[in-house]
Amino acid sequence: MKHIVIVVILVILLTFGTYALLQGIGLLPAQASAQAVTIDRMFNLHIMMISFLFSLIIVFMGYSIIVFRQKKGDEGFGKFFKANNKLEIIWTILPLGTVIFFSYLGAISLAETRNVEPQALNVDVTAGQWYWSFDYPDYGITSDKLYLPVDRQVKLSMTSVDVIHSFWVPEFRVKQDVLPGENLVKELRFTPTEKGEYTVRCAELCGGAHAYMNSPVIVVDDAEFTDWIDSELGNLPQDPVSKGKRLVENNGCLGCHSVDGSPSVGPTWAGLFGSENVMLDGSIKEVNEDYLHTAIVDPNFDVPEGFPAGVMPSNYADLFSEEEIQNMISFIQSLK
Amino acid sequence: MSSITSSAQYQKKLAINRLGLWLFFASDAFMFGGLLVARFYLLGNRRLELEQTLGLIVTVVLLVSSFFMNRAEVMISKGNQKGFQRSIIVTIVLGILFLAGVVGVEWQTAHFQVNEGAQGAVFYMMTGMHAFHVLTGIIFLLIVYRNGLKGKYTAEKHYAVEASANYWHFIDLVWIIYYPALYLMGLI
Amino acid sequence: MRKIWSIGLIRALIFQILGSAIGAGLLGLIRLAMGLSWKTEPALVVGGFIGAIFFMIGIGGFSGWWKMAMGEDVPEAHDVTEPEGIRRYFGFSLDHKVIGIQYGILSMVLLSVGGSLALIFRTELASSGLQILDFVQFNTLVGLHGMVLIASILMGVAAMGNYVVPLMIGAEDMAFPRLNAFSFWIAVPATVLLLSAMLFGGFETGWTAYPPLSVRGPMGIQLFFAGVYIVGWSSILGALNLIVTTLKMRVKGMKLFVMPIFAWAVLATSIISLTATQLIGLSFQLVMFERLLGMGFFTPSNGGNPILFQHLFWFYSHPAVYIFVLPGLGIISELLPVFVRKPLFGYKWVAMSSMGIALTGYLVWGHHMFTSGIEEYLRVPFMYSTLLVAVPTGVKFFSWVATLWQGKLRFPVPMLFILGAIIVFLIGGLTGPPSGTVSTDLHLHDTYYIVGHFHATMFGGFIFPIFAAIYYWYPKITGRKMNDTLGKIHFYLMTPAFLVTSFGQMQIGMLGMRRRIADYDPTLGFDTSHLIITIAGYLIGVSVLIFFINLIISAKRGEVATGNVWQSRSPEWSILPSPSPVHNYKGMPFEVVGEPYDYGLEGSNYVLPVNQTGQAD
Repeated sequence: MKHIVIVVILVILLTFGTYALLQGIGLLPAQASAQAVTIDRMFNLHIMMISFLFSLIIVFMGYSIIVFRQKKGDEGFGKFFKANNKLEIIWTILPLGTVIFFSYLGAISLAETRNVEPQALNVDVTAGQWYWSFDYPDYGITSDKLYLPVDRQVKLSMTSVDVIHSFWVPEFRVKQDVLPGENLVKELRFTPTEKGEYTVRCAELCGGAHAYMNSPVIVVDDAEFTDWIDSELGNLPQDPVSKGKRLVENNGCLGCHSVDGSPSVGPTWAGLFGSENVMLDGSIKEVNEDYLHTAIVDPNFDVPEGFPAGVMPSNYADLFSEEEIQNMISFIQSLK
Repeated sequence: MSSITSSAQYQKKLAINRLGLWLFFASDAFMFGGLLVARFYLLGNRRLELEQTLGLIVTVVLLVSSFFMNRAEVMISKGNQKGFQRSIIVTIVLGILFLAGVVGVEWQTAHFQVNEGAQGAVFYMMTGMHAFHVLTGIIFLLIVYRNGLKGKYTAEKHYAVEASANYWHFIDLVWIIYYPALYLMGLI
Repeated sequence: MRKIWSIGLIRALIFQILGSAIGAGLLGLIRLAMGLSWKTEPALVVGGFIGAIFFMIGIGGFSGWWKMAMGEDVPEAHDVTEPEGIRRYFGFSLDHKVIGIQYGILSMVLLSVGGSLALIFRTELASSGLQILDFVQFNTLVGLHGMVLIASILMGVAAMGNYVVPLMIGAEDMAFPRLNAFSFWIAVPATVLLLSAMLFGGFETGWTAYPPLSVRGPMGIQLFFAGVYIVGWSSILGALNLIVTTLKMRVKGMKLFVMPIFAWAVLATSIISLTATQLIGLSFQLVMFERLLGMGFFTPSNGGNPILFQHLFWFYSHPAVYIFVLPGLGIISELLPVFVRKPLFGYKWVAMSSMGIALTGYLVWGHHMFTSGIEEYLRVPFMYSTLLVAVPTGVKFFSWVATLWQGKLRFPVPMLFILGAIIVFLIGGLTGPPSGTVSTDLHLHDTYYIVGHFHATMFGGFIFPIFAAIYYWYPKITGRKMNDTLGKIHFYLMTPAFLVTSFGQMQIGMLGMRRRIADYDPTLGFDTSHLIITIAGYLIGVSVLIFFINLIISAKRGEVATGNVWQSRSPEWSILPSPSPVHNYKGMPFEVVGEPYDYGLEGSNYVLPVNQTGQAD
């Protein structure tokens, strides 16, 4: 009996100690959405339960290891008891009740995070290897950044053009895979509650530059959001270079090609135009308008050395008009 | 004979072999079940465009072959070697006919290719995996037939016949489930 | 030359290379005859499978069955004379103890390969930026690390099951000795195929091989599929053998509920591997054919659905986790009473909890797919079933604690690893429920939290227990004990190092570190944590190296231990001498007269030689 009393006291102490420690080290990133509040409440319950169960087993074990160790020269046996059905039933029924209760709480918590608000902002998200693109169907805007008004729910309708990706902003807590296929458009709703700049990061291995499949998520107040919409609508650029710039930003080209000279999956565009490069077949080609045109519509025709063939999609001739391709070439030309 | 001498040892060995075979069926059933799941997951209540008469014919052929397989087993357990050999031959011929019907005719004349959508994928994979099992069954039966001609089986000891018969019935059972799933269920 | 040729393994590997070339060449000729040009990918697949079959021919895996099919007489396994000495271990032996050791060696080889792969990409991750690897190399290493270690664990489980179970239940061998040898040897060409994926472009998908990514990437994935597929056969056939052995080959008096508890664990594990393994084989087979023939299973633009793959895949790959840990938990329950010197608390409940975990294991696969876009209505039921696993697992923990309570604990090396296993598995288990409830999993899915949680369950459920098992049964195999000091260094180095990696991974995961990325954003501030995790990873590597050194030198120089070194009641210790003789209990029949774990019960015995119970045999 003496043993049990000591152990119970130790379990209580260690439970509080573990809980304080886990809360103290800061396990979760900043809370920036309404869903994060609900989910963090659930996390908190889990951490309490973990602290208690961890302490329960560890204290019993540690106490046994220290107190019930065999003395030197003692070849005897431990106290003989084999089973206690009452005890077994208790420690089957109690955990059963606990897990059912936790499942119930989990279901409630899930329902709360999926709360639907009718005034939600619609954004169509397209993911591809390796970029994000955001359409605002109510405004006719396409952007490579996700601008969101604070305290208003957003409804993302997400689809992928190639493989499975996953939309995740850690500060918002919620995550949803993005699947290819017209009948598999997935929906994700959340309500940002803190202004600031965040990053959406692809959370499902999608090959190659998966690690770099990020896009900025900018949460602003209503006025700033309206300003952004106006500037996107009003100041649509007219010159070929700016048009080309918008095209490459919104179609994922920058997922593989950098504009500042840093290395990536594809060749960088900084200083590309006019340069001479060794091709896979050993020939040396100068990068001019013709070369770039071929490289866009038929990327595997002449692959420069040091870069994998078959990575870049070869359907750009169908996706873009001739004028659009010329605009993109103008943009690349402007980077020489 | 092998080193098994006493009848008790043979009976024990028999029990072990039987359990092993049934566990194998249980395992294989999961594979066939997985394909069935794929069929309903991808096609739901859609029926495949297949030749109904041909489907019915091959199904009947396989069912009848199972009957002859059973006859073969009954005959050998009564010691009737001639009848056993005849029934085995009929089973093998029917099995080959089934294969010819599915792989030789249905595969060549189907309205869709193997790479045409979920329909092609499901149909060719399900019939293909089943046909592969029928083929292995036929090989076992050929071995059993050959050893039967040598007089290796007696009324008391013929586990190889029993095992290949059970395998044959198992394949038949799979087809009894696959046939409606492929040919009969769902809307055109 | 002839001497080398007579070594089965070498002969078989040469056969495999020849077979692969023949298979690939034949396919090329057939395609040529059909007017098609050479294509490497189908040649790889066909060559891979034909090569594996040739390997089995080379090792002699088909000769017994071929003779049976030809109607010739084939001797029973125990009448086959086998070569003496070390050579036995490199050929097609039918002895379950030899096969158990072969499995063990393969498991340890794969363990060091898989661990080394991890150290390579851990080095890459030690700081942000790309230093030594490119993307495809990194992804290939991550995927192979996962699958090679899964294979290693399956081999380790089979090693323990094969060596120990027949000895424990007093069987003369496994139920199907030839099938048993076949199951082991087929795994060898399979691992060759698996590793050769690196030579053919690697693969980008991680071990889960989700389509459509796996339908597009480099063709190394085909060898990965082929390797896993064949390891699957090995696992299914091995499980079948163990089930039949346990159900049909027990010695007189050994009822199911007086079997050593480890036999229950192996039985539960085998039931899962027998059935569920088919589904990973099927899912990989479907992707394989989708790549080869353009079949539309998983690509939406061709009528498929990528979620179907995830259902099929996880239907195996979740229960697989229980395949990995149940034997380990069985080892804990088996060894604990020996070193605590008192009975296992609640034998029946512990035995049934293994079965309970195995059965609930079939119902929980959907929790890997909470964020993947499965049918919405499935998420809550899968959350309930997932958390239910906590109940039988809890029964195990409480029983272990009650077993420890008021015992007389001894702390030789196996016991240290058992205690380490309980602590690490506790951490792995407790970190499970947050990813089991859907809303919290929306945050945790595909992060390093999952990586940390999973590695804790694997270390606690398999790595620690198998080390305990090796230290414990080593005298049974060699007649010598492993070195105590080296064993203790191994334990006291590995345990803290592992805890650091696991806690570190979980922490950065919750803060936003994604899985399977070759590079991470330095502004997130994870550099220090990653460096510490990498250093701790290397320490684990060093500790395992010490273990290998110990394993090898103790075979020659270890302290001689021929008797019942641990004072166990189990028949393999109390009846059988060490090292265990070739024909197990031949000439020393025994029967079961009591209960397995009645340590401290005056005058009780678990097993007694038949002539001492006063009965004639």
